[in-house]
Amino acid sequence: MAGLVTAGAYTLASLGQNAVIPSRILPFLGLMLLLLVSAHVAVRWLASGADSTLLPVAALLNGLGYVMIARLSERLAGLQTTWTFIGIAVFIAVLVFVERINDLSRYTWHFFAAGAGLLLLPLIPGLGFSSGGARIWVNIGPINFQPGEFAKLALALFFAGYLAERGRLISTSTRRLGPFTIPESRDLLPLVAAWGFSVVIMVGQKDLGSSLLFFTLFVVMVWVATEKTSYLVIGLGLFVVACVVAYNLFDHVQTRVAVWLDPWSRYDGKGYQIAQAMFALGNGGVTGTGLGRGLPQRIPEAKNDFIFAAIGEEMGLLGATIVLLSFMVIIGAGLRIALRTQRPFEKLLATGLTTIIGVQAFIIIGGVIRVVPLTGITLPFVSYGGSSLVANYALLALLIRLSDVSARRLGEVPDTPMLSERWAARRARKRTDDVTTEVSDI
Amino acid sequence: MNQRIRRLALALLVLYAVLFVQLNFIQVGRKASLDADVRNTRQTVRDFDEPRGPILTADGVVIAESRRTEPGSTYSWQRVYPEGELFAHLTGYFTLAYGATQVERVMNDVLSGNTAEQQLSGVWSVFDTDDNSGSVTLTLDANVQQAAKDALGEREGSVVVLDVQTGAVKAMWSWPSFDPNTIADHDSAEAGVWLQFLDLLPSKPLLANAYQERYMPGSTFKVITTAAALEAGVVSLDTVFAEESQYLPPQTDDPIENYNGRSCGGDLTEVFRRSCNTPFARLSIDLGPSNMVEAATRFGIGEDVPFDLPSPAASAFGDVDYFVDNLPLLAIGGFGQGNTQMVPLHMAAIAAAIANRGTMMTPFAIDLTRDHDGKVLDRTEPTMWRQVMSPGVASTMVDLMKVVASSGTASCCLKLADGVVAAAKTGTAQLNGPGEPERSHAWMIGFAPADTPRYAFAVVLKGTNAEISAGTGGTLAGPVASKVMNAALRDR
Repeated sequence: MAGLVTAGAYTLASLGQNAVIPSRILPFLGLMLLLLVSAHVAVRWLASGADSTLLPVAALLNGLGYVMIARLSERLAGLQTTWTFIGIAVFIAVLVFVERINDLSRYTWHFFAAGAGLLLLPLIPGLGFSSGGARIWVNIGPINFQPGEFAKLALALFFAGYLAERGRLISTSTRRLGPFTIPESRDLLPLVAAWGFSVVIMVGQKDLGSSLLFFTLFVVMVWVATEKTSYLVIGLGLFVVACVVAYNLFDHVQTRVAVWLDPWSRYDGKGYQIAQAMFALGNGGVTGTGLGRGLPQRIPEAKNDFIFAAIGEEMGLLGATIVLLSFMVIIGAGLRIALRTQRPFEKLLATGLTTIIGVQAFIIIGGVIRVVPLTGITLPFVSYGGSSLVANYALLALLIRLSDVSARRLGEVPDTPMLSERWAARRARKRTDDVTTEVSDI
Repeated sequence: MNQRIRRLALALLVLYAVLFVQLNFIQVGRKASLDADVRNTRQTVRDFDEPRGPILTADGVVIAESRRTEPGSTYSWQRVYPEGELFAHLTGYFTLAYGATQVERVMNDVLSGNTAEQQLSGVWSVFDTDDNSGSVTLTLDANVQQAAKDALGEREGSVVVLDVQTGAVKAMWSWPSFDPNTIADHDSAEAGVWLQFLDLLPSKPLLANAYQERYMPGSTFKVITTAAALEAGVVSLDTVFAEESQYLPPQTDDPIENYNGRSCGGDLTEVFRRSCNTPFARLSIDLGPSNMVEAATRFGIGEDVPFDLPSPAASAFGDVDYFVDNLPLLAIGGFGQGNTQMVPLHMAAIAAAIANRGTMMTPFAIDLTRDHDGKVLDRTEPTMWRQVMSPGVASTMVDLMKVVASSGTASCCLKLADGVVAAAKTGTAQLNGPGEPERSHAWMIGFAPADTPRYAFAVVLKGTNAEISAGTGGTLAGPVASKVMNAALRDR
């Protein structure tokens, strides 16, 4: 596994070297490699039974994105290195502190409060601010961050806890409407609340992407938890209603849809970004222009939402397909974790976390290549951005912990004591030794 | 739950499959139409913003090169022309918005490293460098070019110096010129304004007048008439022309007069030396339309001057049918008036042919090309353009032109350093078309040293009648020719 990470990073480094990227980024690359290797060592030590594909694939995505960011801006590459450092630190910290993942289900409502609070934070005057049309930023002292990136984690934890507890209850409703079982209105409340949240985000923050992601996350988790198709249908219905209303009420939604359908006639306006992305992808062709030899800087926000187009230009269909495959591997591994574990909370959490990554990547890639209307959101692990990177590494750590826990439970790896248990044991031993000494003294 | 999770996996798989299909559709299926979109400048910009090799003179002066821009600029490279306007008509310019001209255009593949040979050698050096741009070395000598510029000063005109044996261009200068740096500026809007301004100027600074424009040759054309007549045997050095002030050609009542209406006559050497008009009108009529047109064709008149830079002009004389009905025009055509028009480079090549035993070499300005490692890719081999006269006639012509330089119309003003003997012919042409401003062209063509010729030249100056009729072409063009030839002969 370490070999895979090393080989991947090394290939990227040599690719970078052959292009016109200045040699200054080599130290950065070395640092990146060091960080990823230390993350790997942490996994081996702290979660030896974990799925062995998740981290290398995430590291590959991180590395691909990093090389592309470095090629676009050296300054941002330096910052991205810092963010990767913090991301890996958080990754290791989560592995250290979250040992028995089921313990987290105790804090369901704390996570709800945290998630809701984080989501609403940017709306607080003086604290939140808009950038690029969306009010999703928060400024606290010197730090700017996007609380939404962390809110999605908190909400996934809340949904998993809430649904693991009540899922059965909700599904055993007796009210019927035609062929469908209609949930009790009391049980419908959370669904409506989630929908309400999405609307608030969409209206208040103009962040269509996150809104869509939260809603999808919740509908999918309710569906998996209750095994009721009616929730899927109701969710879809609510989604359609929200879409129609939003389309009719908001200019920017209409613009997004119009640009999605035909960017070419709006080339000099809102369609420019998509048109440039199309040009970039076309220019890349199958094999790409080669790193440093394309013109991804022509796409507005190439480092961010549109990094997929930049990769498609310089690394071609091959590079873009690697990105797609990487996300599919993550989805596969994540849902396998969900299938393997027996506990509902863990099942739902793994499903939710995987859905976040899978759907988020789909929304933004689909937006860039015109499968769906563009809704700005980061491409997990690839895009530039601290909040996104740190939150996604935390998410990854949770998935890895989940996979480790079920491997221990299934007896695939010896259930060796956890770090805290080792500490506790040591302290206990020490105390016993002290007692013994005292005894001998007497 | 597991069943739902499997379904979720399937649903996500389908979504990603859709992404993959769409990606293929864009990157493979629609690639061609996307690349062809006029708003898509990626390919052109990419080709544009590449390292590009320098253009050098024969004596190693860099006249065009690409320099790295400040980090953070839109483009990585800036094309620079260190000598400014001096070589603008040779190098041309290289821009994104307005294309490329001259050497920048015709040698684009070499300069950008895109010839098959460079691409092939680039394959082996993929690990050490990306840059396989080549360089182009011209035949021009920066000192001679500078001398031409200084000598001409701010007078409209052109100067061409050729190596008589090879046809290699030593100097080729026209004023006004332009500074290609202003056009190559990355600020396309500003460059566009400049380009438009230069294009609108009546003096056409963007045009390399030395080979892309033609002028009425005046008496310098007598070289061609005389050579044709000698070749055809209708005249010899012993032929004596009667003293006369005018000659009435057929089909007209309007007689042809000598310069200032003076009486002029004597043997061939004498009338050539004094540049009488009537004897050459007579020779032209004696030869007749078909012989004169055939001679003009033999001298390459009527075809584009074969040159290695874009869009050379063609000299013009006229066709047989036209002259049969217009014999007076044939008569005045014999001394370079009427519809006769000559390209300066062509006149220099004709002077060089006389110096080169009648063999007119193909003029060329590009000497050789090199790849990035300095290995010579291609070297221009001198070729013959036309055999314009027999060596015997050429030798007679040398003698005639020597007399012009020593005691004739050029003797006043063509004075070479170190007592080098020159051979020359002057010319003055007046264009006084009805309703047009009066214009005159002062000419001098020739070569030196007369007995062992090395360089031939053509100098043409544009002006008004008041400036140029005051003397013959010699007084104006002679000093320019002297300075340029001195520089060329001093240069070894």
